[in-house]
Amino acid sequence: MVIGISKAFRSKIAGAVVAALIALVATSAAQAQGVQREVIGEAYVPTIWVDPDGCEHWVMDDGWEGYMTPHTTRQGIPVCRRGNTCAVMNSDQLFKTDSYRVSAQGRARLTQFFQSAGATSYIIAGHTDSRASDDYNMRLSVNRANSVAAVAKSVGARISDVRGYGERMPRASNGTASGMSQNRRVEIICIR
Amino acid sequence: MKLIKSAALLVLATGLAACVDNKEDKTVDRGIDSKHLSELKAGIWIDPTGCDHWIIDDGAEGYLSARLDKYGKPVCSGAAPPNTAIGPYKSGSAISDPI
Repeated sequence: MVIGISKAFRSKIAGAVVAALIALVATSAAQAQGVQREVIGEAYVPTIWVDPDGCEHWVMDDGWEGYMTPHTTRQGIPVCRRGNTCAVMNSDQLFKTDSYRVSAQGRARLTQFFQSAGATSYIIAGHTDSRASDDYNMRLSVNRANSVAAVAKSVGARISDVRGYGERMPRASNGTASGMSQNRRVEIICIR
Repeated sequence: MKLIKSAALLVLATGLAACVDNKEDKTVDRGIDSKHLSELKAGIWIDPTGCDHWIIDDGAEGYLSARLDKYGKPVCSGAAPPNTAIGPYKSGSAISDPI
């Protein structure tokens, strides 16, 4: 009985392996170029699993094993259905021009925010507009992010990371005054 | 007793054979805990560096995938110490996992 099962079992495995080896896949890149290229492989078409943060992952189950990897763009940015940015503070309301010292009013606002947000931890990311040099803006944005993180820590919030992106990640055009104002910001990501 | 054992073996073998043939649709889990893979329930595993990964123990299959923020950087929440797993990562499948 047991021998019979394992024999049937083995032939099934052999069948699966042969089927896998002779499968021919035309890659989409080759198709786009109008060139047919034969690749020895097996079709592995994933589906999408959405994590509790709202971001997509490629997932496959080939019978025995399960596989999963984040769905990102070619630039390495995750593809998400919603964001976890829980506050975007306009820098003008927290700092004077070129300064990274939080104003009294700004401190009160940040304190109130971190006391009520209730996240497990926070990522603080500073951004600037495109005036002044890239190097200067990288330094200013990380200094401002650190100042915000210091206020957060002072009220017991856990800070997971602090970063400065300078002028490199604008959310609006730097061609207008209102666009530049939107770009001067400190983003707070809530990790729950 | 012997009858029960061989009956159990037969059920197991049929189940295994179902898994071994060339499973073309990789987007579903089948067998006793069959479902579409979008329904998986994850917990968080904290790696030795302290960064988070989504962990799913789905009966026979296990899944692990990095938790990333909107900039593509690892999320290191500090929700638990390194080398621990938290949350409902074993809740998606009724199949018990002895390990």
